[in-house]
Amino acid sequence: MNTVLFGLLAVLSLFIFMNLGKIKASKKQMDRDDRIKWGAKRKPDVQQNKDGSKIIEGQAEEVDDQSKQ
Amino acid sequence: MSKHSALNTFGRSGNPAFSRNFENTGALPQAERMTLDGAVNKTAILLALCFSGAFVGWNVPALTIPGLIIGTILAFVTIFRSPTKAGATAPFYAAFEGIALGGITVFAEMQYPGIGIQAIGLTFGILASLLFCYKSGIIKPTENFRLMIVSATMGIFVLYLVSFIMSFFGSGIGFIHSNGLFGIGFSLFVVGIAALNLVLDFDFIEEGAEQGLPKYMEWYGAFSLMVTLVWLYIEILRLLMKLRSR
Repeated sequence: MNTVLFGLLAVLSLFIFMNLGKIKASKKQMDRDDRIKWGAKRKPDVQQNKDGSKIIEGQAEEVDDQSKQ
Repeated sequence: MSKHSALNTFGRSGNPAFSRNFENTGALPQAERMTLDGAVNKTAILLALCFSGAFVGWNVPALTIPGLIIGTILAFVTIFRSPTKAGATAPFYAAFEGIALGGITVFAEMQYPGIGIQAIGLTFGILASLLFCYKSGIIKPTENFRLMIVSATMGIFVLYLVSFIMSFFGSGIGFIHSNGLFGIGFSLFVVGIAALNLVLDFDFIEEGAEQGLPKYMEWYGAFSLMVTLVWLYIEILRLLMKLRSR
């Protein structure tokens, strides 16, 4: 009885997985702002300026007026 | 200080393959993109291979340790060396891990008859119910959720590693293996964390299919689901053994 019961549970669960797994998740799940960003980069983008200084994306840079003169 | 300062410091994904493959996916033709169907079918292939391996391990329990060692090496190779070749390594991982699980289940069955089918039923039961909870939006994985699960998983891994090393010196962390209330509580906690790792796997596969990742990521998604299922099965087996030994 124990074997039949748990065996049935396993077969039924696999059947559910095979069918439900192929269906897209609900809008409630997909259309959220706080979803995990799997592709986010580890470090902020660092780019090189023409004068050799670094521009870090999302980080403010102090502008010195005297350097232009 | 950012709300997710720890994530900013240590990176958003614990798995280097994930972030690498989510970039520049726009140029891929439709046929070469990851789909939900493909990921589920490949998980079914890996499960079939795992069951075939388990049949071998069940009949030849002496292969348990070699199966476990080779399976673990293949898992590390797939994760850290060649996620792009997951299609080649994941089937072998499933087969060898199946051999190990078959052998482990034989030893458990000798002590507690009927425990193997209980563990299989509960493992797949948790898989189906969590998939339903995820698809319907009852469980919503967020960055904080992931940080919590990854931290707890790492903590458990370190605890097991320390216990394993201590065992060489005739010592160990007793409560991990005890059948007392604390030991059972610990096993329940580990089963819970292993189960919630499934939610992260579902989210990764769903997001990968939505973003149209390369086709080989179907194998990688199926592989990550398989790793979690193997861990969940072993932990449920341990929990049931503790409960039956009382």
